[in-house]
Amino acid sequence: MTNSSNIKNRYYQSYNDNQSLLPGLELSWIKRLRDDAITQFNQDGFPDKNVEEWNVHPCKGLSDTFYDPCQENNYEIDVKSIEKKDSNCLIRVIFLNGKVINIEHDTLPAGIKVNTLSFYLKNNPEFLKGKIKSANEYSEVRLSNIIDSRPQSIVALNTAFHEDGAIIHIDKNIEVPGFIELLHLGECEENTMKHIRSVIFLDKASKCEVLENIKQHKNNNVVFTSNVTDVHVSEGASLSFVRFIEGNSKNLHINNVHVQLDKDSKFISTSLINSKGQARAETRVNLLGENSSSKINILMMGTNNSLQESLTKVKHSTKNTKSDQIIRIILDENSRGSFQGKIRVDVGADGTLANMSGKSLLLSDNARVNSKPELEILADDVRCSHGVTVGSLNAEQLFYLRSRGIPENEARKLLINSFGNVIINNISTNLAKRAKNLMLEDSNKND
Amino acid sequence: MTIALEIKDLHVEISDKEILKGVSLNIEHGEMAAIMGPNGAGKSTLASVLAGKEGYTITSGSIKYLGKNLLDMPIDERAAAGVFLAFQYPVEIPGVATSAFVRTALNAQRRHRGESELDGIEFLKLAREKAKELEMSEDFFQREVNVGFSGGEKKRAEIFQMSMLSPTLAILDETDSGLDIDTLKIVAAGINNLRSDKLCGIVITHYQRLLEHLKPDTIHILADGKIVKTGDKSLAILLEEKGYQGIIEAA
Ligand SMILES: Nc1ncnc2c1ncn2[C@@H]1O[C@H](COP(=O)(O)OP(=O)(O)OP(=O)(O)O)[C@@H](O)[C@H]1O
Ligand SMILES: [Mg+2]
Repeated sequence: MTNSSNIKNRYYQSYNDNQSLLPGLELSWIKRLRDDAITQFNQDGFPDKNVEEWNVHPCKGLSDTFYDPCQENNYEIDVKSIEKKDSNCLIRVIFLNGKVINIEHDTLPAGIKVNTLSFYLKNNPEFLKGKIKSANEYSEVRLSNIIDSRPQSIVALNTAFHEDGAIIHIDKNIEVPGFIELLHLGECEENTMKHIRSVIFLDKASKCEVLENIKQHKNNNVVFTSNVTDVHVSEGASLSFVRFIEGNSKNLHINNVHVQLDKDSKFISTSLINSKGQARAETRVNLLGENSSSKINILMMGTNNSLQESLTKVKHSTKNTKSDQIIRIILDENSRGSFQGKIRVDVGADGTLANMSGKSLLLSDNARVNSKPELEILADDVRCSHGVTVGSLNAEQLFYLRSRGIPENEARKLLINSFGNVIINNISTNLAKRAKNLMLEDSNKND
Repeated sequence: MTIALEIKDLHVEISDKEILKGVSLNIEHGEMAAIMGPNGAGKSTLASVLAGKEGYTITSGSIKYLGKNLLDMPIDERAAAGVFLAFQYPVEIPGVATSAFVRTALNAQRRHRGESELDGIEFLKLAREKAKELEMSEDFFQREVNVGFSGGEKKRAEIFQMSMLSPTLAILDETDSGLDIDTLKIVAAGINNLRSDKLCGIVITHYQRLLEHLKPDTIHILADGKIVKTGDKSLAILLEEKGYQGIIEAA
């Protein structure tokens, strides 16, 4: 038996041995969801380089180490020691090691429901039905019509092992004043794995801003975390979603967001990825309703030996939908970055408008980037554009700034920031300041 | 008067090709010198070497400014010491607002000289004053540096930066090219406003018109990497009549 299939078996074993730790198993539909997922994982294993979504950096470090998904953590944290909630933040959900430890909020207007997954499983499981999708629903449908579940192995593992999550439900016509923050803190035992499963559901004509804020773990243990979020934006509703992912050099984080967009709805997302370890963010958007639109902005920053990856799949399923993607990658030292972006326009999805622009800035000779834009266009009346460029800091610009008296370091910083500004300056109102401060904190930390 | 800038037998190569072939030039405190010369003579090269641009090989010669060896100083230190180059082709910096850029530059220079930095309000007050002198609309403070500026706007923005940074050695590389007659007047007045017994000016131009406004003390003709003739403003008039070829041949 090879090492990797040996490890695969240990996950299967662990699932069977630790059922008492996994919430909701007494419900038959949850049990089926989890059972199917572990079966799928057991079949597919971790994706290797033969899976196109993973062929740049095939799951480095995952297939040869067993990360215990059911390890109890004895770390505690004093909620009072956590920095205070931002003034524009209406509700903050704090996670520690994969479990919600606190929810704080100002006076809540009616129509806004935010609680934990475990709360709903205990008190109102029916509410979750259909909102948490089974892993195989997210399988890739290849051009040959073959259904390929292998790229979604991590989602399957998450579906089997998730312990908690945040459930956000916004009623019809409600506009949430301020943003909702999901703050993820961690301090885990060596070689553990934590899965979080969240749901964001916006009912018709509602409006909401959500920040998923993933902090680096406090200690230096090797930890794998996976956050999967199922998003549904109903007719005429609009969701602004910001993901901020940092990590220390021992953190491996994989983040999956699956978005379903109904008629006239909007999804505007910004991902800021700045891990010193490994981080992978996947964004899959399905434009299911006419006149729906999606904006995906991604800024990845790498230093040292870090690896940042981003995968987007935008599927235009019906007529007159629109998507935009702006990706910026800044890599220094020995860091690695990769971006895979696919735009798929289904048969009959005429009137599709789709743009993708990817630019990478390499600050060191040893940094490496890999960009792979892909178009699959099966409709006729479609306007698509995509462009990717890779460059280093512009010497003329650097000279111009320095000739005005700006020291080299500061001039470089100014140019690097200006490269990322197109992403930072496009964040929705309530979240803009918070996101900028997070970026600032982070860049100061790196100095 | 005493010599502020002293260029001695300067030889400069770019990718193994000699561009400056022994330039010597002295400029005194308060002097405004004009440099004229045919296309490709090396005027911008000289300006870039003064400002410290990389990519040039100085094979021999020296440049001293206020007693210091300029060639040993990093680009930003030269600026803090008072060197300012108005670019022949100002560079666009997308994503950086003009006011943020100028404020960063001004405060970096002040810091370097051990002076206190200007806060946002003090800076804005100064910037408004200077923009008004140059009859520029304040809209451009928020615009990205030189992005989408017309040719004339770029040149005017260079002079705005210069008056904000108040240098002691100003090198203006074809600041007049692309300016309409009215703008040329405004820009010339902006330059004249900065004149003092401390400011050394080097004005690179192809045209008599700017010189009529600036009334330079000396005019130097740079041809094929060398100063071939030096004179007063009558030289510019002679040049209009005879062209470079006539003057170079006579020299
Ligand atoms: N990076 C470079 N590589 C090779 N040759 C260069 C480079 N930069 C300048 N040169 C050459 O050096 C010579 C002098 O150029 P420079 O720009 O200094 O001329 P100039 O006197 O300013 O001309 P103009 O009046 O047209 O502005 C030219 O022949 C030019 O082609
Ligand atoms: Mg020139």
